[in-house]
Amino acid sequence: MLTRRTFLQSAAATGVAFAQRSEPKRLAIITTVYRYLSHGQHMGDRWLTGYPFEGAWHKPNAKVVSLYVDQTPENDLSRDRAREFGFQIYPTVAETLRCGGDKLAVDAVLIIGEHGDYPRNEKGQILYPRYELFDQCVKVFEKDGRAVPVFNDKHLSYSFVKAKSMVDASRRLHFPMLAGSSLPVTWRLPAFDLPPGCHIEEALMVGEGGSDPMDFHALEAMQCMIERRGHGETGVKAVQLIEGDAVWKAGEEGKYSKELLASALSRSDTPLGLSFDDSRPQDMVRDGVLPQLVPNPAAYFIEYRDGLKATLLMLNGALRDFNFAARVRGVKAPQSLQFLLTPEPNVTYSACLMHKVEEMFESRKAPYPVERTLLTSGILESCLTSKVQGHARLETPHLNVAYNAPATSQYPQA
Amino acid sequence: MNIPARPKIAAVATTFFKYSHAQHIVDRFLDGYGWNGVHHRPAMDLVSLYVDQVDPKTDLSRERAARHPQMKLFPTIAEALTLGGNRLAVDGVVLIGEHGKYARNEKGQTKYPRWEFFEQIVDVFRKSGRSVPVFNDKHLSWNWEWARKMYDTSRELGFAFMAGSSLPVTWRTPSVEMALGSRVREAMCVCYGGVDSYDFHGLETIQCITERRRGGETGVKWIQAYRGPAFWNALRDGVWPRELMESALCRSHTLTPARPGFNDVFPTVDDMQRLVKDPVAYRYEHADGTKCTMLLMSGLLRDFNFAAQVDGQRKPWSTQMYLPMPDGRTTLASFFSPLVYNAEKMFLTGKPTYPVERTLLTTGLTAAGVESLYRKGEKLDTPHLAIRYQPTQESTFERS
Repeated sequence: MLTRRTFLQSAAATGVAFAQRSEPKRLAIITTVYRYLSHGQHMGDRWLTGYPFEGAWHKPNAKVVSLYVDQTPENDLSRDRAREFGFQIYPTVAETLRCGGDKLAVDAVLIIGEHGDYPRNEKGQILYPRYELFDQCVKVFEKDGRAVPVFNDKHLSYSFVKAKSMVDASRRLHFPMLAGSSLPVTWRLPAFDLPPGCHIEEALMVGEGGSDPMDFHALEAMQCMIERRGHGETGVKAVQLIEGDAVWKAGEEGKYSKELLASALSRSDTPLGLSFDDSRPQDMVRDGVLPQLVPNPAAYFIEYRDGLKATLLMLNGALRDFNFAARVRGVKAPQSLQFLLTPEPNVTYSACLMHKVEEMFESRKAPYPVERTLLTSGILESCLTSKVQGHARLETPHLNVAYNAPATSQYPQA
Repeated sequence: MNIPARPKIAAVATTFFKYSHAQHIVDRFLDGYGWNGVHHRPAMDLVSLYVDQVDPKTDLSRERAARHPQMKLFPTIAEALTLGGNRLAVDGVVLIGEHGKYARNEKGQTKYPRWEFFEQIVDVFRKSGRSVPVFNDKHLSWNWEWARKMYDTSRELGFAFMAGSSLPVTWRTPSVEMALGSRVREAMCVCYGGVDSYDFHGLETIQCITERRRGGETGVKWIQAYRGPAFWNALRDGVWPRELMESALCRSHTLTPARPGFNDVFPTVDDMQRLVKDPVAYRYEHADGTKCTMLLMSGLLRDFNFAAQVDGQRKPWSTQMYLPMPDGRTTLASFFSPLVYNAEKMFLTGKPTYPVERTLLTTGLTAAGVESLYRKGEKLDTPHLAIRYQPTQESTFERS
């Protein structure tokens, strides 16, 4: 007999079951290329095979239902994946979002516009069609009168104007949007964040690798640390990119702090030169070995609107990891850490990033602001413009991007 | 005990080549190392070095001595400690008995002369009527009786004695510590490497966490080892909790992809059996009932991962003891930095920063595990491992 009491009990039980096992989110993946170890593959696969998270193999409550892949080289894996995991590949972005029908038929979109064969412009930027892919999604959202959360891997676009219009569209159509690098959400050595509201006197990041993939990662890593300062991020006033011996000269002249550089390098597990030869630790700044190790250094100077000066040094030949240092008012020693890029092929840091995306798909709220990536996209573009304009200092009034850091730290702590 | 403002340290090593433990440790005293956000230079001088085996083709000790003239090479351990005189002339000793060409016994143990070196060190102490702190890299001796003697001698002469692996003191991903007094029912390390080598690191990984359980360490009652088919049968029979094994594996950054074309998939037991050619398990029980399992699964992963069942916690407690390994991934074995830092603290204060009893126990466990393997997986009682001690209040792993 169904009494009021048993009814309430069964309703409560159903409620619990429902909360735990809501309908899987229907996910569309839009990517440039899906080959082994492309971002499309290692991020896309997380939604198919699950991923390690907080000491368990986590299966997202999501089902990839459709995929668009812009390029299918010989080593393409997308067709195998579609067969094995039962989703459709469509020839256009619109069809992918509508799953071949006439209305938006997915709950979330993952745009992974990294890797693949795309031209570079005169600034050395690879012209990945992130904006173009995103814009096709937005057109579907507008036409079909419904918008769903979008994740955009890495920077928004090589062009700030395009990047800005992407963020504007998400505001206009009220869909949550997340973007950027894995570095802000990977493990840190040591595991800490700067205290919210702290006064940062100067910040410095050391990275390595090519432009414009790796300098972007380094800028995002630095930005996720310094956005926690003062009353929040207020944007960038001017940038300058210098190269070659001018970088060492700038260090001598105090344009960036050699103490911070030494602190950042003290976090590296991969110093090259003598450490590569016989594994001895090195005090690279004091020993003055950097000029011999780094034939073509680059310094990205960033002047923030609130007066903060930050520098990214790309030191190919000196190290192979990404390290941050800052001087914080009231703290005697520099605060520094390594952003741990875990080894290939697992690249478990991409699981950290996909978990943040999953959080957004579940809650319809981005765990950290997309404005961070809007700003880093713009900083990078302007720095590369400075590079081709005789390394000139460029005013950047368009980079008045203001936002607040997330209330909670976003790196793995459990 | 009188500790000078700038202690003099002697290092005693089996051999010294690129990536040898001696190179990692001695270089940190000589050249400093990244620590706490600066290039830290130890407030002490490594003034003497004894190297047992010098291979002219690979040796780096002579280059180090030439570049750091304050460090002299001596042909005997006694001279390294007396600086060529007739009395102890240093304030601390680092003993590094890892690597080098030493015989293996029938059980597969490499007979590194740690005890023999230690005896020569304490001989100088006795003759000089003065003892100084000793740091012993890795386990105490492959031979349990000798290991026990090393411990007993340190107590008899009353000098500070530290030993062990870098696993207990390195970074963790995530950076977490077991709450003191937790009720740990089961603990496990899933790692890689060989017997009488990395098994010790796996055991130290387990012990540095489980010693924090309620009541502290009570010693170990028995141990049983599994290898080859016996390992797979034990896994399938649930001899150790599958849930803990999976949790530990989910902390790995290096799982071998079990399927071509996939970079990070969770392996089935069949996958594991295909990938791991020579699996080894040591299962043992502490006197208070806590059970532990150390799994060597070379071929499946290349890192050290820990998981435990703790009363009152629904999910396993797990982390990775992170080794930035110079096997192509890094150039520095930075996990030696916290090890050297802890040794430095002992040399400056005369007090160990964590109990040597931990390593006495893991030394005995390593030898007992090897013995059980030698006896084809026989379950062995270990009354000699009734070693009780309390953990440090403060965590000693790298966090800053």
